[in-house]
Order: sequence, then C-alpha cells, then structure tokens
Amino acid sequence: MITTSRPSRRFLAALAVTATVALTACSAPGADESTTSDQAAGDVSTELTDKDVTLNLYLETGFPIVEELSKEFTRQNPNITFKIRSDQFAALTENAPRVMASDDAPDLIRLPTIADSASDGLLLNLDPYYEAYGWDQFPASQLEQMRVDDEGSRGSGSLYALGVGYSVTGVYYNKEIAAEIGMDEPPTTIDELEDDMAAAKAAGEQPIMQFNDIGGAAFPFQALLNQYSDPADVSDWIFQKPGATIDTDAAVEAATHLADWADKGYFTDDVNSLDYTNMVGRFAKGEGLFMFDGDWESANLDKSMGDKVGFFLMPTEEEGGEPVAMGAPNTYVVPAKAAHPDEIAYFLNWLHTDEKARQIIVDDSGAAPGGPASLPVPEVPETSLTHQTLAAAATIGESGVLTDFVANATSGIYADGIRPELQSLLDGRISPEDAVKGIQDEYESELGS
Amino acid sequence: MTAPRRDQLAGKALLVLFMVLTLIPFATLLSTALQPAGSIPTGFSWPSDPQWGNFAEAWRIAHLAPLIKSSLLIAVGVVPASLVLATLAGYGLATLKIPFSNLIFVVFLLGLTIPFESLITPLYYQMDSLGLLNTRWALVLPLIALYMPFGVFWMRAHFLTVPAELSEAAFIDGAGTWRTFRHIHLPLALPALSSLAILLFLWTWNQFVLAIVMVDDPLKRTMAGALGAFQGQYGTDIVLLSAGALLIMAPTIVVFVIFQRQFSRALLQGAVKG
Amino acid sequence: MTLTHQEAGRTPERPASAPRARRGRRSRRRWAHLVYVAPALLMYGFFVLKPLVTSVQYSLYDWNGIGPATWVGLDNYRRVLTDPDQLSIVGHAFELIIFFTAVPVFLGLVAAALMHGLPQGSFSTVARTVLFIPQVIPLVAAGIVWDWVYSSDGIANQLLSAVGLGGVTRPWLADFSAALPAVGLIGSWVMLGLCTLLLLTGINKIDPSLYEAARIDGANRFREFVHITLPGLRREIGVCVTVTMIAALASFDIIYISTQGGPGRSTMVPGVEIYRLAFTQREIGQASAMAVILMVLVLVTIVPIQRLTQRSDA
Repeated sequence: MITTSRPSRRFLAALAVTATVALTACSAPGADESTTSDQAAGDVSTELTDKDVTLNLYLETGFPIVEELSKEFTRQNPNITFKIRSDQFAALTENAPRVMASDDAPDLIRLPTIADSASDGLLLNLDPYYEAYGWDQFPASQLEQMRVDDEGSRGSGSLYALGVGYSVTGVYYNKEIAAEIGMDEPPTTIDELEDDMAAAKAAGEQPIMQFNDIGGAAFPFQALLNQYSDPADVSDWIFQKPGATIDTDAAVEAATHLADWADKGYFTDDVNSLDYTNMVGRFAKGEGLFMFDGDWESANLDKSMGDKVGFFLMPTEEEGGEPVAMGAPNTYVVPAKAAHPDEIAYFLNWLHTDEKARQIIVDDSGAAPGGPASLPVPEVPETSLTHQTLAAAATIGESGVLTDFVANATSGIYADGIRPELQSLLDGRISPEDAVKGIQDEYESELGS
Repeated sequence: MTAPRRDQLAGKALLVLFMVLTLIPFATLLSTALQPAGSIPTGFSWPSDPQWGNFAEAWRIAHLAPLIKSSLLIAVGVVPASLVLATLAGYGLATLKIPFSNLIFVVFLLGLTIPFESLITPLYYQMDSLGLLNTRWALVLPLIALYMPFGVFWMRAHFLTVPAELSEAAFIDGAGTWRTFRHIHLPLALPALSSLAILLFLWTWNQFVLAIVMVDDPLKRTMAGALGAFQGQYGTDIVLLSAGALLIMAPTIVVFVIFQRQFSRALLQGAVKG
Repeated sequence: MTLTHQEAGRTPERPASAPRARRGRRSRRRWAHLVYVAPALLMYGFFVLKPLVTSVQYSLYDWNGIGPATWVGLDNYRRVLTDPDQLSIVGHAFELIIFFTAVPVFLGLVAAALMHGLPQGSFSTVARTVLFIPQVIPLVAAGIVWDWVYSSDGIANQLLSAVGLGGVTRPWLADFSAALPAVGLIGSWVMLGLCTLLLLTGINKIDPSLYEAARIDGANRFREFVHITLPGLRREIGVCVTVTMIAALASFDIIYISTQGGPGRSTMVPGVEIYRLAFTQREIGQASAMAVILMVLVLVTIVPIQRLTQRSDA
C-alpha cells in the first residue's frame, strides 16, 4: 500500500525515462545497409577445388532428396562434405530471408518464393554460371520461373535459382473406389470429373481428400482457374506484372465450382483443419477418391498404395483442350553471402547432368530431373506411379502449359490471402466473388506497401 | 450433517471433477501413444497390446538427448545469472538508500506487463547486429533481462521482510553494506532464492516464441521451441507424435513432482507477489 | 505488479538514536549503492528498454527488415486501427479474456467458497499436484494435446457422442464459430488449477471468527460469500485476474500451435499477428505498431485492476 499510493505519477515518470532513452536512439532502421549482389562475371570458376570444403545447406524437412544427392556427390568428390540442417516448410520460408541476411548464411537454401529476396539483394545472381556452364542448353521454359528482372517481376531477367526436380501437379485417384463407382478411366473434362465426384458421394465414399489448414484448397482452385482463364494471365499475376488481377470472371467461376463441391460435401468436414501429412496418410489408407497434389508424392504413394493409385493431369473444360498444369521447379537459391559459390554452382550443375544424380532425383522425388533437353530421362518401371507422373510432365512439356503456383505470387499471399479466403469459401461464409476479391485486395496491399 | 460439512463434500467433489478434467487430455494422449505406430486411432481406447516401444522410437526421432542437453545449457546460462543480478538489485532497492530508487523500481515493474511478442522484432535485429543469432546466447541474454523485473520484484519483496534491526546491528558493529549483505542477508534469502530458481528454470525450459525466432536449428533451442518443429516433422503419424509430445513434457512433470512442495509454494507466492 | 504488504509495518520500534546514525552513514554512500542495482538495470535497459524504444521507432517506418526504411509517421497505427481485419484481431484477444480469466476465476471461487476451512491433508496435496500440471508443461505441449482432443476422431467428440450429443460433434478447430471458444477453453484448462489453488490458499487465511459472527447474525451462505469471502479474497482475485488477463492478451504459443490463427482469421490474435507480420510478411513497421498497441492495451487493462484490488486492502 505504500508503494501503490500514487501509481499514475510513477508511471508518468517511468514513461518519461523511457522517452529520454528514445531521444538518444533515433536513426532510420536499416539505412546503412547496402546491397551486396554485385558479382563480377569473370570471377567464377567451373573447376572443382581440390581443397577440403564443407558446404552448408538449409533444407526442407520431409524432402530428403538433396541430402541423398549430397551423399552421392561426396562419394564422387570426397573432398567436398556437407553440413545440413532442416526445418519444416513454414518455418523455413519464414526464416529464410533472415538466415540469408545473416553473416553465417548457408551456401544453398530451399526457397519457394524468390522475387522479394532477389530484389532485396539477398540472392546470388547466377548469370555468370549460366554462361560458364552453358545452361542455355536447358529448355528455356525450365528456368523462366526462376528469373527476376530489375523491377522485381519474375519470368524474365537474371537467373536467381535452380530446381532440384521439376514438379508437375495433377490429381491422384484411388483405383479401388474408381472401380466401385464405375470410373473406368480418368476423366477427360471437368464435367466428367464432377460426375465422378457425385458418383463417389452417392456410393458413400469421400470424393475429395484435401488439406486446407494452411490453404491447400489452392490446388483444386488453381487447377480450375488454369482451365477457365488464359494461363498467361495467371502467370502474369503470379509474376506481379503491372495491372495483373485475379479478380476475374474466370476466377469467380473457379471459386464457384469449389464452393459447390464444398456445399455438396465433397470435401471432408474437417477440411479446414486437415494438414498435409494427414491428408496423404488418409488418402494412402483408402479414404478419398481424388487428391489434388503434385508428383513429389508419387514415390511415397507408390510404396504405400502400390497399384491401387493412379495419376492424371487436371482435365480440361472441353474434351481435347490444351492441358495446363501448375508446376514449379523445387527451387534452391544461393545466398549472396554464401561462402562457397563456385562449389555450390558446381554441385547444382552436377545434379542436372550426372546420370546417377538424375536417377536419384527421379527415384526419390518422382519429379523430372530437368537439365539439358538432350539427356535421357532416367528409367523407371512402367507399372509404377512415378512412370505416370513423369509421363504427365512430358505431356505438359511437349504439348501443354506450365504455370507457377498462385501461392508463390507474393510472400504473404498464401497465409494472408488465399488461406483465409478459401477457408471461408469452403465454409460457405463468403461468396465466390468476395473470395477472389479478398485475395486480390491482399495482393494489392502487399505490392502497394 | 451440518451445512459447512455438506459444502466441503461438494467442494471436494468439485475438485475431483477439476482433476479429472485436467487429466483427461493426458490420458487420451497416452492411450494414443501406445497404439501400433502408423495406425489412425480414435480419442480414447486402451490398446489391447500397448506398444511401449513407440517411446523409444519417438526418443530417437525427436533427438531428445541433444535437446535436453541444449535446454539445460540455456537454463544454466539464464538461471544463475538472473539470481545474482536480481538478488543484488532486490537488496539494494529494499534496504539501501539509493537515489531515485522508487523510480527505478517502477521502471522494473513496467516490465512485468510487457508481452514478449512486443519485443521480439527489435530483439531479433539487436541480436543480429551483435552477431549472436542462431546461438544460445540469443536466448540467454534476452531471457535474463526479460525475467529481471520479476526477479527484482521477488527478491525486493523478500528483503523487505527481513527486520531492519538485523542490518542495523551489523552496521553498528562497523560492517559495510557488502558484508552485511553477504553474512546476514544472503543466508536468510536462500528459501526465496530457491523458489525463484525453480520458477526461472521452468519458464526458461518452456520458452517458445523467443526460441523459434532467435534460433533456426531446433537442436539449439529450448525443449518447447523444439516441440513445434517436431510437430511439423512427424505430423503424419499421430501415434509417434503423441509419444514424442509426452516425452518432451515429461521432464517438466518429473522436476515438478520432485520439487512439488517448493513448486506450488513458489507459484502461489509468486503469483501473489507477481 | 501486485505489491506485498509486509513493508507497511516494518519500521516502528527502533532505538531513537539509530536512525540518525544510519542516515549519516547512508547519505554518504548512497550514490555508491547504485552499484547493487546497476548490473540488473544495465541488463534490463539493454535487452528490454532499448528494444522497447526501438519498437516504437520501427513503428513509424515502412521497413522490410533488410533494405532502407521510409518514414511514414503514424500510418502503421492508422492501418491497424481502421482495418476491420486488424481490429477483429484485437477483439479476439479480449474475447479470450472470458475463457482465460472469467471461467477459471468463477470456478475457482465456487470451489474455494465450498471448501473454506478444509484441513490440509493428503487430499489437498494430491489436488495441488494434479491441478498444477497444466501450469508446468510447456504451453506448446498443451496446444498439441488439445489439437488432438479437438480433432474429428478426438475425445471431445467421443465424449459428446457417448452422452447422446452426437449432433453437436464437429472438428472443433476447423469450425469458424467454434474455434475461438475452443482455443479459449485450452486457456481455461491451463489457468483453472492456478486460480483454484490461489483462491483456496487465500480463503484459508480469512479469520474464521468473521464467519462465526456472521452466522450468529443469521446471515445465509450467499450473504456470507458476498460480505466476507469476496472482500477477503480481493487481493487473490486481483492476482488471478491480472495474471490470466496478461496471458489472454499476450497469448501466442497455444494459438500458434493449434490453429495458426485459422480457420479464416477467426482465431488470429495480436501476438501471432506480430510474429507473422514481422517474420513472414516482413512488414516490420506494421508489426511494431501492433506490438506497441498490444503493450498499451495490457497496461490500460491491468493498471485499473491493480488500483481496484489493491487500494483499500490492509
């Protein structure tokens, strides 16, 4: 009671002290930072050093592919060893900018969204290595998504990343449920796809197994959007081209279909809290006719489901239309502050061109290995699921269109736009019009600030 | 039966209900952890063949041994230093005449109301400029400071209870403030110090938000900080996740049961004081 | 925050000569005595007060954490205080107070009122041990445990079905209207033991003769509760309310683990939003504005409660 007699005066005094400290510490934050991405083109070497070097990698948990590759690399080049640390996807994407800016930046990081980091000067410009290693032999479309221009838009400009496996997405289906409802072959139009869902529902089966705790409904949403709109418009939006918008009739139509599926009970009732790993787990155990996902799960599902699972590209609106899939290289970047840029570039070139490395990528991830078009794609058993996903990737490469993921448009669009809007949409709380408008608003507020 | 007696029975029944509600979540976690790995169990069903081996498996994949070591290292960095600083300051503020002592005390008190989240962003950049990110120092140093308001408050409250005659007698004998502190006050402060030590240890062990921001490598974090990463990593398998979660919270429960009396006394007094 | 009462009666019977002698000795040394406080103050100043000031400073800039910063004045605050999404986030924090504070304090009071005068024994030791467990485990662990309790196949739905309420079962954390209360109940679970035990300890300190006198006056149990128990527990109630309210307003761990703020934005709270703004969106300015607003909210909520529960006590 003695000490509390005049708390308000005390607090004022204390605040005054704080304010005094404030006066002594006022300069704009970050003002003294300078960009460090200048790279003299003549400096790079394509010869692997014969000194002992340890490369630091920061990877995504659950995708051990690069770790496998690093073991093979060390086997072939014993003087190069690797120090690897992994984090789950969300933590990784949150930490990456900070880790790259810090003084102990690793040599290679798994980074899905590169535009912001590239314009912030955090990433090493790979153009000198592109020249030195002759990566112009890679199909140009393979590297397009990993280019960032001076304005910070993706799709053209300098090369800032390379892929370890080039993914394509589509729809997995459970062949046992398919047989039960008389679905003899994969649907070829969206109408047929919806008929199959209705049949599954009528038969008491779960039509779709999809995670949406962090916005996984973006897979079917964009799959539909790709069909209803010009894929180039979708790409422009993702690449932040001036004036691009997702608030279009096509997007409303895609969202309407999604809302309709939710309304008819095609999604599980816990779709909004279902996480990715549980989705895959439940699908593998036989729950759900369809699952919208990428080829990175094919090796897994091959093991757990055997011949009970199949894969097809998202069907088109009209029979025989041009197939469109979203897909992306699993992008890895070299931080501007990396200690061993030459060695890591050598490693990146190696995993695109070495026969063993390419086989490891296909066997472990199910994704296409990329690299020069002249190199053969590693062989996999014809009955395997990976064979189907590789064939789908080839179809897209030869006669289709590949778009990046809408979730990669900006660093916050997935968590702050797509996720809440699609969760609300599936819950029937907002209209399809409001959902796409909400995503666009978030997009603009992020680009505006 | 008298009214109070009936009330006490009802009160006991209510407490038993509270206890059951407290324990149910743990029971369902345990029953889940003992199911065959990879199965999809439901809420509570005791397995016919409990798989105790799941704990060994979870111990391995959750890297518990290095984690416990890491958490202990952080606690060793935080707790003793906090005790020393808080004791000196508490003694100074309670028994010595110090200019602006009331103002200093209130500035400390303000700290009790600051949510950690409000400071993580600037602390992050501060640690970055010190080059301490991704080291345990980035947890230890801020935690010492963040716990300082409570520590000072707690020790000051203790020293205020010591009769002034004790120091006066010492002063008259010609002892300086340091000797008075060292030989008279410190021995008397041991119970208060040990309670504070227990609380600080617990809070350090359970610290989460600072751990995930300051340290990228889960194995260099606190136990709680690593648990989040563990969830992301093994979300596939609810059985192993349950086993791992039980193992990760086990050390706090074990420490708690051993020091049960000191713990609850510290928490109760701590709450009344803090 | 709550201040102890011991110092009130601390100074009386001193020999008349002693104070003067002491004052002389001390006034010579008082600046030197700062040595005792300086280490703590330096540490606190450098890792708490300095970031506090930096937070205020950041909040006036638009900064992505890496490049140069632009002065924007109070724009970041305007944004938080006018955007309905951001305002609803602050609203959620206050809604959580119902669960973190009101529920456990009310239930704790009921238990305490029924049990006053209960002798210390093995029952109370067991109760104390069990009820404290949620306080000692990491909040993150509580989030994981309850994530499982609330899932479609979890025990919450299992129990509801068992008592014939199968109709209300749902995946609680996926439901827009149920998720926030569900998360709040985790807070109730964590805080219940602390509040109950604190209030039980407090009630046993109330002079039993007060109750005897009231009974002689013919007061019923309810009047007894209102006129004796409640005033007698004022300090403990103040502590419960203060501690649990700070926990509600500053909640982070439980929500980060169980819902990450979803579904939609229905469980997003200031703590998680600060983290997300700062480290996912790299909007350091906005994150800091939210951080400053959160600090102010805690202060203006806690200070009146302290004054209310502390003043006429002694």
